[in-house]
Amino acid sequence: MLLSKGGADVGDTPISSDLIRGHIDTIVLGLLSAEDRYGYDICRQVALLSDNEYELKEPTLYSAARRLEGQGLIRSYWGEESQGGRRKYYAITADGRQAYERNLTDWKRARRLIDRLVSGEAEKE
Amino acid sequence: MEAIKYYVQGAFQGVKVTPEVLEQQEELIADLTAKVGDLVAQGKSEDEALGVAIASVGDLSVLVSEFEPVEELADKIPTASVYTARLDLHVIAISASIGAAVMIASTALGAWTDLVHPGAGFSLLAVLAAGILWLRGAYLRYRESPDAVEARDLVYKARFRKALLVWAGLAFGSILLNALTGTDFWCWPFWVAGGTWALTVKVEERLARRAEFIAPIPVPEDA
Repeated sequence: MLLSKGGADVGDTPISSDLIRGHIDTIVLGLLSAEDRYGYDICRQVALLSDNEYELKEPTLYSAARRLEGQGLIRSYWGEESQGGRRKYYAITADGRQAYERNLTDWKRARRLIDRLVSGEAEKE
Repeated sequence: MEAIKYYVQGAFQGVKVTPEVLEQQEELIADLTAKVGDLVAQGKSEDEALGVAIASVGDLSVLVSEFEPVEELADKIPTASVYTARLDLHVIAISASIGAAVMIASTALGAWTDLVHPGAGFSLLAVLAAGILWLRGAYLRYRESPDAVEARDLVYKARFRKALLVWAGLAFGSILLNALTGTDFWCWPFWVAGGTWALTVKVEERLARRAEFIAPIPVPEDA
């Protein structure tokens, strides 16, 4: 039996951030594999890609960025002076690209597996 | 956008200022400014945009907690609310008893082995009288307000060290005076008194460790 509160709201509320949290690193790496971006730009791209169903908050992004930089998967540099001061840009490294490809493959495998598991339709002996 | 700067710097209060922290603040200020700029371009007023941007950034405490806090020494001193009159009466009673027992025993031992000067009995009586006066003072303070409550710093190491130093000084001075005057019956009570003071610190520490005489934290009258 499945206990869910407010079942009628399903689909209306923003998706649970717990489901996404484990993939923030991959999301950031994916966005950076196209071009270098600064913090707010990454958050804005996440909002656009998710049609505002998921909001990546800046503090969460900064924590992830510091972690990724520590692992050598991204690097950062300060951009030109703009209104409000310098912007800090992030760029993906070669290691980061490899990690991104690996994470993407892992995710696709996991998604197929989890789809089968949570649907619970095919009961096997 | 001074408001953004103030907001960010306020959120990072209590964090040790390091180059890393300053960079994080600069990044957050630049990103918030870009966000406000975006919202204004969408037709919001600047104040409104500022409110929306700050609200959407959300709780900064997790991010801030990833940085090293400023060391605050004052906060590290443990304090407790204690029944001071009761605690002091017990401390003085125990210390005075131990001190008196040691003095009576040493005088008796000295008399038995014929090592004390004549007059030792007199100074013993004088010291015991001083001890009784000391105890009486604590008892009177206790009678006056038995439930007196006060916040006390539970710091004993420094106090004990100071007491020991004073005691060592008194002991040295007494020995010097004894040697100079060729007597030994009127100087030593000073160093006994010094030793008893050090003893009170240890007794209080022991009682505090056992969490005796801990009072409820006083509630302000107008609460």
